Amino acid sequence: MKKDIIITLLIIMLVAVFVLATDFKSVEEYYLENAENVKEGDAAVVISIRCDTVLDNMEKLDPALAPYVPSDGTVLAETKYALREGDTAFDILVRAAKTHRIQMEYSGAKETKTVYIEGIANIYEFSCGDLSGWTYFVNGERPQVGSSACTLHDGDKIEWVYTCELSEDLLQGGAKNE
Amino acid sequence: MNNHIAFARFHPAALFSYYLCLLLFTMFTENPVITALSLLGALYFCLFTGTARENLNDLKFYAPMFILVALTNPLFSHSGATPLFFMNDNPVTLEAVLAGVNIAATVAAVMLACKGFSRVMESDKLLALFGKASPKLAVVLSMALRFIPLFKRKWRELCDVQKAMGYFRGESRFSRLASYARVFSALVSWALENAADTAASMCARGFELEGKRSFSLFRFTRADGALIAASLALSAPVLAGFAMGKASFYFYPRISELPFDIFSVAMYACFAALSLLPFIFEVKEALKWKYLRSKI
Repeated sequence: MKKDIIITLLIIMLVAVFVLATDFKSVEEYYLENAENVKEGDAAVVISIRCDTVLDNMEKLDPALAPYVPSDGTVLAETKYALREGDTAFDILVRAAKTHRIQMEYSGAKETKTVYIEGIANIYEFSCGDLSGWTYFVNGERPQVGSSACTLHDGDKIEWVYTCELSEDLLQGGAKNE
Repeated sequence: MNNHIAFARFHPAALFSYYLCLLLFTMFTENPVITALSLLGALYFCLFTGTARENLNDLKFYAPMFILVALTNPLFSHSGATPLFFMNDNPVTLEAVLAGVNIAATVAAVMLACKGFSRVMESDKLLALFGKASPKLAVVLSMALRFIPLFKRKWRELCDVQKAMGYFRGESRFSRLASYARVFSALVSWALENAADTAASMCARGFELEGKRSFSLFRFTRADGALIAASLALSAPVLAGFAMGKASFYFYPRISELPFDIFSVAMYACFAALSLLPFIFEVKEALKWKYLRSKI
């Protein structure tokens, strides 16, 4: 009987730890966070989110998504965000998604620097062919680390872009070829 | 033979083709109407053919399973345009919740349909059906279908033996769990050995020999032909509807609208008739029996 009580308490504690460690937010709470204005002279970065490659590969796109692809390929035009100490490319993306109410899903964890962006604005990896997904560029170059491990500096320009051919369509003859 | 189930009196080939049609449609669609109809048909049939005790036990298993599957989807799938709340900065969306309910309903429908299938198709019917074409397939299928009931019976037997030996008594709930784990491990090793034994014994009896005839009680009658014809005739409009995209439905990013016109209604009516067929047949036979008895 004693054993029963101890083990039951342990299980309840374990569940409680999981629930408490999870960060629950209502929709309004989530979107209103981090809404701030950039003042002159603050450290700032510029972020843009684009999916032009989808427009070139409409035949491969999941038909359910067709109404959700912006006609000019711009999910978010170049926008300035204040840079805080230790901000990564992922942090800025989360902040941009919040202020502009862009749907975004990731897997992995920020704390372990293993974040993988699965989808932005309802366009997911594999939504447009087997080689499609989201990737990012900082100042026109591809960092060799994940977005949650990529610390930013003042004046950096971050571009989140969608690829349909494992980045080949972005690197060859595109804007990123320098 | 399961004599109290009227539907079980059909020829194995007719029953097999009926369940093949039903399961194919249920498994390969996201359409919630088709899923709901299929779930209703399978549920009614299982409730009608099972005893009150069996039904209660089934409920104890299926209700938690349904809830678990339905809840798991929104925890891991964050796609969808309508966020309800945010969990670690990932949205929990209305679409994912509804898709979870749909997946749970599909799983329950398929499992209940398979339960109905195993109630009307015992191993002798499977052997009669596949014995000629592929004896190996027939043995594997009949062993697989027989596996769970056999497992349950042996489980009870092992528990009784352990109780007789003095285990399980005066133990706390969690030490009893440990005892169940011991029984389970014994059960698994027994099952492996039993399967090998059965296969070896079938080999020794020459189940694969050429020119062997198997004993079959089943005669293909006009009613069996009618059942096959009905399954095919009801499947054809549904298949046509699938091909024309009348049944297409998706949950992400926003729940799509169900096409609603005469053709789609006709398609749903056909599928409802297909899925409710065993239940309707069962009720009809039960009423007939009651009527005939009342005249005696």
